[in-house]
Amino acid sequence: MNNSSVNKTGFIIGLLVLGMLFLMMLGLVFGSVNISAKDLIQIIAQRDKTSKYAVILWNIRLPRVLAGVLAGCGLGCAGVLLQGVLNNSLASPNTIGVNSGAGFFVMLSMLLLPQNLFAKSLMAFIGAFVTSVLILVLAYFAEKSRITIVLAGITISSFLSAGMNLMKIIDTDITINSTQFLIGSMAGVTMKSLYYPAVGIILGIALSIVLSKALNILALGDGVASSLGLRVNLYRVIFLLISSMMAGLVVSFAGLIGFVGLIVPHICRYLFGHDSRLLIPTSCLMGAILVLLSDLIGRVLFAPFELPVGIILSLAGGPFFLYLLMKKGGRRVNA
Amino acid sequence: MLKFQNVDVSIGKTPILHDLSVTFDKGKINTIIGPNGSGKTTLLQTLNGLSHVTGGNILLEGDSFLKMPLRERAKRLSFMPQFRDSAPNISVYSLVEHGRFAYMGFSRKMSDEDKQAVQKALEYTDILDYKNRMVSELSGGLQQRVYLAMQLAQGSDYMVMDEPMNYLDYPSQREMFDLIRNLVGQGKTIIMVLHDLNYALRISDRIIVMKDRTIVGEGTPEECLGSQILQNVFQCEVDVINRSDSKQYFFI
Repeated sequence: MNNSSVNKTGFIIGLLVLGMLFLMMLGLVFGSVNISAKDLIQIIAQRDKTSKYAVILWNIRLPRVLAGVLAGCGLGCAGVLLQGVLNNSLASPNTIGVNSGAGFFVMLSMLLLPQNLFAKSLMAFIGAFVTSVLILVLAYFAEKSRITIVLAGITISSFLSAGMNLMKIIDTDITINSTQFLIGSMAGVTMKSLYYPAVGIILGIALSIVLSKALNILALGDGVASSLGLRVNLYRVIFLLISSMMAGLVVSFAGLIGFVGLIVPHICRYLFGHDSRLLIPTSCLMGAILVLLSDLIGRVLFAPFELPVGIILSLAGGPFFLYLLMKKGGRRVNA
Repeated sequence: MLKFQNVDVSIGKTPILHDLSVTFDKGKINTIIGPNGSGKTTLLQTLNGLSHVTGGNILLEGDSFLKMPLRERAKRLSFMPQFRDSAPNISVYSLVEHGRFAYMGFSRKMSDEDKQAVQKALEYTDILDYKNRMVSELSGGLQQRVYLAMQLAQGSDYMVMDEPMNYLDYPSQREMFDLIRNLVGQGKTIIMVLHDLNYALRISDRIIVMKDRTIVGEGTPEECLGSQILQNVFQCEVDVINRSDSKQYFFI
């Protein structure tokens, strides 16, 4: 990148960071109970942890806002990686079954080890990784046909969804939590349940940014990539590992809100071009913005009743994405 | 020189080439020609890992090419694939920068030497004016020059090209022709597949003729015409028109 594009990159990222911070502020203040800006400043200035508003702020709002940021960043980044690795613009954690893989294993851990947060995170990662390796193997044998990968993903998804429904029937205790889990919701997220996911997701994003040049080269196709000196299969597995870790960890605390992973990379590619070095950080931030915004809408629209973030994302994000597809018209939406 | 010794090649599990031996001369333009399905591309793709070599050896100046680490390969031999149906939506400069991948450390930062190589490649292919444009917005002829620039930035002595003039209009073909022809003056060795026989005969120092997945003839363009091998393989007659600056070939 030369100087002018470095400046432009800085500007875009700065703008997105500001947007995200603004939404985080709104997320702290608004909800079924509104905290005024004055109260907010007072609580922070006085390290207040006991008043009614302070309890809401520290124990409910803050974890929730942070969960939104983590979920959006993780899924946005995972989407970029998966679309790059599979060379398929339809790929995303939910279309290729990575989410349901994580979901299935998370429900399994809720069934077997209900109180163990580490097990939940670990199982989410294992589930996501096993599914994505399965997809990669299928893709290899299907000679990388783009349609086959997505069809296989949908099949695996429905297979695992059946498994999740089966668990709901077996153990009705799970059922209470699982409705929100299946739609994707950040209600009731605690700080404690964010520790492991936060470490993993931040690590994943950092690695993705470091390796973004390799992702660019991978996008040129196997032949070009290997003649440029890239170990194609090794990097494919690395990126798959990173993306399934992130997608899986998000599932462990926010449930199945995978839609973000599909639309965010497309929105960012449309706005900022295909260069992964810009695409990865912008997709993280755009993902966070989208999740925070949807969660905020879900909380204030019918306050004091709440709509899970997954519903808002699909209800509002879906048509918006369709609009983008139409507007592009002749220009192809492509990875 | 680049030497294939008794090479067997499979794609997937299907054997395509068997016991094939051929030598490409250093500092020359070596062109493989042959009808569709004769195995030209399969042969070339042993050099970018898309065809799987199951037997025999490939020697690059005496070193085993197949055992070389990918990065070293990339520094010594570069590969331009066939025309791509979807061009990447990144800037020309970024794409050409990719040519330096094998030279960069883990941080993937460009050194001054890398920047110089990119600059020289952009100058040689005359696309400096386009360096901030998106590759996908350019015409086919320009895109091909961008890919050539990426290959040049790679700085390898051996340059492999799979049908570098396919799908280009006439002026773009001529530009590519001149760019490739002049590379030999810079000490490059060219190994390529061409479909257009007229161009192949005019540009090449050596011609390798393939048919039915075997090599049926090789030699200078004159030798190939003299031995009637071209005429037999392509079932045609050849008229040669001598002009003051070049020879032109017509296939009837």
